[in-house]
This record gives sequence, structure tokens and C-alpha cells, in this order.
Amino acid sequence: MNVEIDLTAREDVPRWLSYGTPVFTILMALAVSAVALVALDVNPIAAYSTMFLETASDELGLRQTLVKSVPLVLTGLAVYVPLRAGLWNIGAEGQLYAGAIAGTWVGLNVGAPSYVLIPLALAAAGVAGGVWAGVPGWLRARWNVNEIITTLLLTFVAIELANYMVRGPMQGGQGNFPVSALLPTAALLPDLFGTGVHAGFVVGLLAVAATYVIVTRTRVGFEVTFVGSNPAAATQAGMSTVKVYLLVFLLGGAMAGFAGVNEIAGVQGRLRPEFSPGYGFTAIPIALLGRNGAFQVLLAALFFALLFVGGSSMEVVYGVPAALIDVIQALIILFLITAEFIKSYRVDVTIEREPNDRPAGTVGEV
Amino acid sequence: MTDGPFLRMEDVLKEFPGVVANDEVDLAVGRGEIHGLLGENGAGKSTLMKILYGLYAPDGGEIRLDGRRLDLDSPQDAIERGIGMVHQHFMLIPRLTVAENVVLGEREPSALFRAESEDSWLPESFRENRVVSGLARRFSLGLDVPEQRIADLAEEYGFDIDVGASIWQLNVGQQQRVEILKALYRDVDLLILDEPTAVLTPNEAERLFDTLERLAERGLSIVFITHKLKEVKAITDRVTVLREGENVGTVDTSSVSRADLARMMVGREVLFQIDKDPAEIGDPVLRAENLRAEDERGIEALSGVDLTVRSGEIVGIAGVSGNGQSELAEALVGLRELTDGRVAIADADLTGASPRRFIDEGVSFVPEDRLEYGCAEDLSVMYNATMKDFRDDRFGGGYFLDYDELETYAETLVEEFDVRGVRDTTEMLAGDLSGGNLQKLILARELYRDPRLLVANQPTRGVDVGAIEFLRETILDQREAGTGVVLISEDLDEIFDLSDRILVIYEGEIAYETTPTEADRKRVGLEMTGGEGTDGEPTADSADQAVADGRGDS
Repeated sequence: MNVEIDLTAREDVPRWLSYGTPVFTILMALAVSAVALVALDVNPIAAYSTMFLETASDELGLRQTLVKSVPLVLTGLAVYVPLRAGLWNIGAEGQLYAGAIAGTWVGLNVGAPSYVLIPLALAAAGVAGGVWAGVPGWLRARWNVNEIITTLLLTFVAIELANYMVRGPMQGGQGNFPVSALLPTAALLPDLFGTGVHAGFVVGLLAVAATYVIVTRTRVGFEVTFVGSNPAAATQAGMSTVKVYLLVFLLGGAMAGFAGVNEIAGVQGRLRPEFSPGYGFTAIPIALLGRNGAFQVLLAALFFALLFVGGSSMEVVYGVPAALIDVIQALIILFLITAEFIKSYRVDVTIEREPNDRPAGTVGEV
Repeated sequence: MTDGPFLRMEDVLKEFPGVVANDEVDLAVGRGEIHGLLGENGAGKSTLMKILYGLYAPDGGEIRLDGRRLDLDSPQDAIERGIGMVHQHFMLIPRLTVAENVVLGEREPSALFRAESEDSWLPESFRENRVVSGLARRFSLGLDVPEQRIADLAEEYGFDIDVGASIWQLNVGQQQRVEILKALYRDVDLLILDEPTAVLTPNEAERLFDTLERLAERGLSIVFITHKLKEVKAITDRVTVLREGENVGTVDTSSVSRADLARMMVGREVLFQIDKDPAEIGDPVLRAENLRAEDERGIEALSGVDLTVRSGEIVGIAGVSGNGQSELAEALVGLRELTDGRVAIADADLTGASPRRFIDEGVSFVPEDRLEYGCAEDLSVMYNATMKDFRDDRFGGGYFLDYDELETYAETLVEEFDVRGVRDTTEMLAGDLSGGNLQKLILARELYRDPRLLVANQPTRGVDVGAIEFLRETILDQREAGTGVVLISEDLDEIFDLSDRILVIYEGEIAYETTPTEADRKRVGLEMTGGEGTDGEPTADSADQAVADGRGDS
């Protein structure tokens, strides 16, 4: 038997393929993860239905999903906006920590009523996150320093800075626990109409809307899109790549900063070391799944939130390790890369029984 | 050519979704014949040759080589059957040497492991062991024998190439000869060249033609893809013309004129001589003094250029590429930092200003490389049509941009400048336009804003005849509207037809100035290559020939 794989470069990408990619990617990742479930003697269909359907139809599950989606959508946007300009922000996690530190500090040290304090804390967090991303943005714009490396490394600086803060200057509460003092009530995000979802969800939605408007309706958005597609032509057209690069990182970093303060003021109540389970890293597959637009980023963030929440309940019901969620996440990235390949090449697989036989037929064609 | 057609392609059909790229095309090429394949961009020339080289499978028809049916699955099959192809973009590895590139995929094991080798100290039984010889074939490289063979081949055909040199050290013309060597090393009988002169200077093109004639004399058949009529006349024996995927006809080159060929290719009369009214020359729009600038490697590329262009005047800059033209163009639009000198547009001194200031002062630019600097291929025609004007107030004030208005504007450009193949400006990607249509779109974008100064670097390079005619007329119309134009071109005909003044650039300096009416083409050709130098002769000849060609046929 002779298997022949034939690659042909695609002249153009079919529409269904470019829009369907996120969906196919998720389905493929779930299909492959099902193998792991079967190996653990769990019925994948039952497990997935617990994970998705039951979580989404249950009030508690739904509430937790929405709460989880807040940092995910904001950090997702923090990766998405620079990606529009062709840059990789791998350090949304660090910007989230920077925002959390600054926001907590304002919440603890500024005495003001809620309607002043919360916007102030958000602003401080946005500035801190923006600065944290702005430095790599400036280095990239001005000196062409690789932003993937700088954003990633600054993440560890931010995480350690938070570690230091809760053990040193901002240590609070009883004993010597490495946590900050509890935020005053005025600094805590209110509940949205008694649903148990904090007001940070609105911040997330506003950020999505703002990103959508900026990218698709403004002059700056035009420049961001153009620079992302061809920086040399953009320069020739009089656009400043320095300005665009700096802007997307400032904006993205600010979003991640909001994510940090929302998580503290909406969920945790105080700054803890390593409070984020890696939202800023999950943001990367979210931005990749949602690369077609800000609303797609929102959908991807909701999907990942469901995955996290549903994953925990699957763990409880079936005793499946929650690490499976990491597997699914990793598979999504792998399949996204595969999808890029399939977008640029047609793959024909032919199987011949005998070397001299006529082809037994095209078995698969993607 | 005596023993009947060596290659015969019959009724070759190739369809892509929505287009018939080759509609039952016939092609016959004799032994030792140089056969031109002529057609506009998108006429199906490359598709046909890719079928012949095994890159595409035909949907119908038959190919016979030397009487035997060809069924090719890959270029590997094609090479085995004696068909070689030199692509427009070279397939060479810059870090490897000439010899290493030539033997890629065909290499010999190191002498140490060769069974018949004399000077190996390894026992013969060991070398003949199948495992050992298999490993040696995959993991060792013997260059001594191939190097000798390559050097012999190079000498035989008069290539001055050091087989031990790395590819990156060679210039474009030499790299192309390496590509030809690759084919010769594999003993091909049929050589396909895909627009081989697109990247060559006139001098190098002359040398290529000499080489091809020598190859043909030895019985090699050559298919020469081009859309330049002059080349067809200069080098081919017969020519087949394709139009919209169909074979329009095959003719003996000597029996047709350039005008005939152009008519076959475009399907209508094409004017070669453009009627030009005398210019109404006004005030200076560009004053550049003592411009000095460096190239990417930090070597001085412009050494003190003075240039003044007045409203309604076209100043042609002739020269062999690489003599500072790109740097000059970039310096004039604010893209390249000056090490010395001043640039003023109209009354504004813009020395050291940003590209944005130049655009705002009414400078338009058609860059040499359409895809690299001229457009964003992955974005729609709408984005590309408005990439300079989107700041204008008519597209909405303040921070917001009126995308509907942008779309209308893009549609206007597409219509007025006859950009073909665009149904929806927001859907069609710039990269999917053909070369000529993309260039029309770029020129439309640059001219519709009524610039004071247009800097056009090679505006018609790699564009088919119909589009060239349109582009040139458009530039002339703009001149009448009072725009000053800097026209940089390697094509002497273009310079002579369009310019009011001609400057010759050589090694970063203006070496000679003249006007088309007074100019002596021979002198211009000489100045392009640095005057009396030994390199001068061939160019003078080619300039001469250009005169003969240009005037004789049209």
C-alpha cells in the first residue's frame, strides 16, 4: 500500500474556511481530548454535556462563567489589539498584575465615595497596565526590540513585584500572611442587579464595544489595520509605525490592567500573590480564535470561561483531572496553527494498493 | 528545427475555479529553437509552462516530448525527462556556494566513500557495503567531481562564475546563470525561462541573449516567456501569442513587426509613439540640492545630486539599476534620511521632514516595488485606494472615519482609472489584482489627489503592454494639469518618449543632462555605464538597437 500526500498552494481561501476556522478548531480539539476521556473510562459525550450544557443551563454555573469571562475578555483584547497591528503581546498576564497592584493601592489609600473611588482605581490600573505594555511597545517602535520577549519577561517582573508588595509595603490584615488588607466597601465592585455577577462585566462589554469602534470606525483604526498588514507601505503613506505600535500596546495594556483591578475589586477583595490562574496566557488562544473582530474575542472568552467552569464540575462529577482543560487549550493552539497551514495549502491524500495500480480514489481532501 | 517538433502540446486545458487559464492551447517547439511565449499578464503563459514543468496537472490535452507522451507528476519527473525551468524568482540558497546549489538534490557521496574512487583509504568491501553506501549517499557530500563538471560547463557556455563563491556574493545576472547551470548540469533538452529579463539590467540581458543563442546552437530548445516585444524580436525564432488563455497564433518572428505582435497580444491597435504636447512649464515644484544619502548597508548611494523640477515638466532619470535611483526616489519623498543636502517642495523647505509632511505638501510617490511598498496585499482595494487620503476631511471630521465614503472614493478611482477585475472594493484584495491593474490602482491613488510633484520609480516595470500605454498617457495627462514629474526608469524608450529633460544617473551622481530632441541615444547609453569604461560598448550597442527597434517597427 502506498500513501501519497499531495500539497497544492491555494490560490484563494474559501470563505467558509476562513470564518469556520475557530469553530472547526474547537471541535477538533474536543474530539482529540475525547481520546483522553475514553482512556480514563469516561464517556466523552456525557462528560462534555456536563461540561458545557449543564454548566450553561445552571444558574450558578452561568454566573461563574460570566465572572470568569471578565478577565478573559479584557486580557483577550489586550492581545487582540496589538495583533491587529501585527505585534504579539505575550505579557497580558504581567499587565494584569500591574493593574491589580495599582488598583489595589488606590482602593486602599484613597478615601472617597464609591462613584469616585472605583473609576479612580480603574484609571490607575489602566495606566499601570498601559505603562507595563507601553515599555515593550516603545522599545519595539523605536529600537525594533522583539516585543514577544520583552512582554513575556516583564510578566515575571510584575508577578514578583506583586509578591513583594503583599509581603512588604502593602502587607495588611492579621498576622504575616502575604496578602494586602481587605479593600474598603467603597472600592468593591457592586453586584449587577443582584445577579452575583460583578460590575466588571460591564467594563468588559464596554471595552469590547470601544475596541470594535476604534478598530473599524476611526482613522487610528485604519492606520492600525494598515500597519498590521504592511508596515513599509504604511510608512510610505505617511503613517507613523512608532505611533501605532505605541498606541496598540498602551491600549492593550490598559485593558489588561482593567482585568487585574476587576478581579481584585470584584472577586478577591484583596491583593493576593499569584491570584491569576494564567488569564493573561489563556488570552493568547482567545485572541487567536477571535482574531476576526472584537465581538469574536468576546465569544472566545465566554467559551474559555465555560471551559474552565465546566472543567471544574467535570472534575467533581467524573474525577477527571482539571488538567484536561490545559490539554484542550493546548490543542486549540495546535489546531489553529494547523488551520493556518490548511488555509494556505490544499492537502490531497491518495492511497494506492499496488504501486502500479490506478489510484484507489482520493480518500481525503481538505 | 529540422526533425519536426521536439515538444508538442496539444489542446492543453487548465481550469481554476471561475477561470479557464488555458483553453485548449497548442504549442510546438522544434529542436534548437528559441520559442517566445508572449502575452499580457494573466494570459496563461505561466500556467502553461507550469503544466509543462509538472507543477500543475492539466485538465485535458496531451503533451509529447520527442514523440513520447509526457505524464508529469512533479518537477522531478520533468527534470528526468529533460525539461528544466528558470523561475522569475530564483530558487537558490544564498549561504551555499554555486556548486552546492547546482548539485542540490543530485549530489554525489564524498570521494572517501565512492566505490570507484582511487584515493580512498577505506577498504573497497566496506565502501561497497549497501548500508555504508546508503548512509554515505545521504550524509556525505563530494564536491570535487561536480565542481569540475560545473566549471567545465560554465566555461563551455562562457559564464564567468567562480563555482566556489557563495550565492549572496553574486549579482542578479550571475545568479540567473547559476539557475541555468543547474538545468544544464541535469542535461536538459528543453529549457523554460520565465520572464528572465525582468530582473536584469540591459547589459545583463544582452549577455543572457548571447548565452541563449549559444545554447540553441547546441540543440537545446528554449521557451522564453515574456511580455516585452523588443525581446521577442531580438532573440526568438518563432513566437506563440496567448490572450485570455487562448492561443492567438504562432508566427515566425522575422515575418512580423512589433505592432503586429502587440495587436495579437492585446487584441487591438497599440500606440508606441505617444503624442506629446509641448509642456507649459511653470515654477519649480521641487528643488533638491546636493543630496547625499546612504543605502541599507551604510554605503553612500547618493553623492551630491542637484535636481530641480518645475510644474508641468517631466524629468526622466535614466540609469542602470543600483546607481542610486531608489535612494533618490526615497529621498525626494521623505522616506530616506539625508546625510547632507536640502529638499524643498514649492516654497516649503522639507529637509528632514516626515513622509507625512511631504504628502501634505502635495508629493505623490509610485514606488519601485508595488507589493513591498506600494500596497498592502492582504487588505482590500478600498484600504489601498485610500491609504493616503483617508486623513482628508471629506471622509469625516475628527477621529471618526466614514467608511461608506471611502468605499465610494475607491469605486471612483477604480472606474476612472480603468482598474479591471474589481467587483467589490471592500472584498477584493489588492494582492489578487494583476500587476498592471494593481499599478493602475496605485497610480490612481497618487494622481487623483492632484499632486504638485509625482515621483515615479519604474512605473511600468513588469506591466503588460495595454497597461503600459494607459499608465504613460495618464502620467502625460497629469503633466498637462501642472504636476511636475520625476520619472525614474531603466527603459530608455520610456524615458525618451515621456521626458522633457533627461538626466543620467551613474554611481549616485547626475552624469549627464540632455533633452529628448537633442539627445544622442548612444551617448546616453554610454553615460549610463560610466562613460568610456570597457563596459560601455555593449550598452551603446543595445541603445543603438533600441533606436533601430523603436523607430523601425512602429
